[in-house]
Amino acid sequence: MTNDYKLTIAWLYPDLMSTYGDRGNIICLQKRCQWRGIDVKIKPITLETQNSQLSGCNLIFMGGAQDRQQKLAANDFLNNKAPVVKQMIENYIPALFVCAAYQQIGHFYRPFQGQDIIGASIFDLSTIHPGDQAKRLIGNVAARLIYPDVLSGTVIVGFENHGGRTSLGNKLKPLAKIIGGFGNNGQDGFEGAFYKNAIGSYFHGPLLPKNPQIADWLIKSALEVKYAKNITLAFLDDSLAQLARQKILDRLKIIYER
Amino acid sequence: MSFLDNVAILIGKVSILVSRFFKLGYGGTWPGEIALTISPDILKHFSSKLKMGMVLVAGTNGKTTTSLMLKSILETAGFRVIHNISGANLLNGLVSAFINSASLFGHISGYDIAVFEIDENTLPLVVNKITPLIVICLNLFRDQLDRYGEVDVIADKWHNALTALPSSSTVILNSDDPQIAYLAKNLKAKVIFFGVNDPSSYRQKLEHATDSIFCLACFHRLHFSGIYFSHLGIWKCDHCGLERPKPDYHNWQSPLPGFYNRYNFLAAVAAASQLTIRTEIIKKTLKNFSPAFGRQEQFKYQGKQISIFLSKNPAGFNESLKTVISLKAATMLIVLNDNIPDGRDVSWIWDVDFENLPKQMNIILSGTRVFDLALRLHYSGRQFITEENLENAINKSCQYLQYNQTLFCLPTYSAMLEIRKIITGKKIL
Repeated sequence: MTNDYKLTIAWLYPDLMSTYGDRGNIICLQKRCQWRGIDVKIKPITLETQNSQLSGCNLIFMGGAQDRQQKLAANDFLNNKAPVVKQMIENYIPALFVCAAYQQIGHFYRPFQGQDIIGASIFDLSTIHPGDQAKRLIGNVAARLIYPDVLSGTVIVGFENHGGRTSLGNKLKPLAKIIGGFGNNGQDGFEGAFYKNAIGSYFHGPLLPKNPQIADWLIKSALEVKYAKNITLAFLDDSLAQLARQKILDRLKIIYER
Repeated sequence: MSFLDNVAILIGKVSILVSRFFKLGYGGTWPGEIALTISPDILKHFSSKLKMGMVLVAGTNGKTTTSLMLKSILETAGFRVIHNISGANLLNGLVSAFINSASLFGHISGYDIAVFEIDENTLPLVVNKITPLIVICLNLFRDQLDRYGEVDVIADKWHNALTALPSSSTVILNSDDPQIAYLAKNLKAKVIFFGVNDPSSYRQKLEHATDSIFCLACFHRLHFSGIYFSHLGIWKCDHCGLERPKPDYHNWQSPLPGFYNRYNFLAAVAAASQLTIRTEIIKKTLKNFSPAFGRQEQFKYQGKQISIFLSKNPAGFNESLKTVISLKAATMLIVLNDNIPDGRDVSWIWDVDFENLPKQMNIILSGTRVFDLALRLHYSGRQFITEENLENAINKSCQYLQYNQTLFCLPTYSAMLEIRKIITGKKIL
């Protein structure tokens, strides 16, 4: 067993940025660690939390939000936590940013009215809302992973619900190729972004329980960065996740090839 | 009444008869839909003919039960009441209810008042067309975000609509829901608050599924000196001083189990009192009150007792779980569908606290998204069985029942209709 391993997961703004079942990602990471005997702690990081609590964490998660809550969180994130998060990501700390968090780590979000909302520029991307006549990109979605390399080709599923269209800059790689649904902008066929050990995605649904390969990759990467050695995680039975994924692929009329 | 109104009502009436004759359904929505196509302002015509006016009941959870309670109280008091059947809470449902009660010539002169539950997005549309006598706002929780959008957006729309109401209208608000209480700001209409004063029911801490825990005025974190469930409680902003208004109605015992029904009942009492109904009439009604369609509704099925608790969003689901646990449930069937009325997005199940279920409970899972549910329960460390076919799932669940036990079913909306269809042979009424 791997009882000696310890992980601390930073959950950014659980009371503000946790709208679409985002807690599922945290539950998934926590349980998959516990089932393998990894001593895991979830550290809620919110408005009142000091940066010193954040910087020692081994994995970062931040989820989606409603507009009003996002503004509250964004203000604190930009002024306080983002520089720390950026440094951690540059140091290969694995991270997952979903939906509103994904938009917020880019350069800016341009609403269809009003001024640009400045982002944390942790990822080289920007998001534009094309106007109130443009439809929201809502529905079940599936994509084939491009990165991380070890998961390349794996099909992931989820649900997306966003008005903003995200474009990646030159320094950033897309996470996956869309095979059903919209993804980043509904135009270029890509979904999400990948940088060092950090992932950004529009998939809530939430992402990790139905796509446990990504959960395990995040855990493994976190341990490898912390303990500076190769780690092999114990096998877990994911047949239920597979059945749930198959339902989405059926809905999208996608024939699963792997 | 215009000629078009007449035509609309006549065709609507005929379509109800056709619908029932051919067993196409109860005619809860499409007679209204047809009538609205012919005469878009027909609601205005109908509402102007009511002796007293219209009561609208809005909120994420509880509008069916609250409107049924109020309707029952008013009928006991001798009023003739027009009421929409459950689920038909869009414009076409309201118009259908009027057509159903109207004579062939469109007269509804025998009716005193209409009590309608109303969809979150329909409330502003109706308030812009007609001036209701009373509007009740129960609560706002995240619910089917792919369909309704964010609670803040709904609250803004409601507030815009309510500010247009004159002083002759009454707005009845839940003082324990910060976002609902804040709707009172700048209203010309009379405002009445209901809320619960019961320190013995305080929870230790906020649940995960909360939506309004920051001040609506200054955006600082609210302080809760008492929490009932989700974000409902005794709240105050320590920064700007905004606080929970003192409720005008707070000390009534609900006739149904479940904490949420205390709010539903208080809201109905507040409205009835505005309509000068005497306390004895309210108490008399409650003695015989039976639950609304799909809301703690009881059935006998093949000799077994079945109780249905519609559960369609995190706050409501958490309350259903607490209620069935308090009723000592031994066997529970959870059915998760992702049809249009349920919402396509089932992510919200991860905001439900399944971790609070007793470990020894028999749990059976079904529905179009049964494996998403199974995955959620798996991560909560609970044992369960899955059965995709709903009829088989009900039968299997019944096999677990020992003498005198009840099967508790927690379905999403379309699943609730399917269960009723299997048990009673009819989806609606």
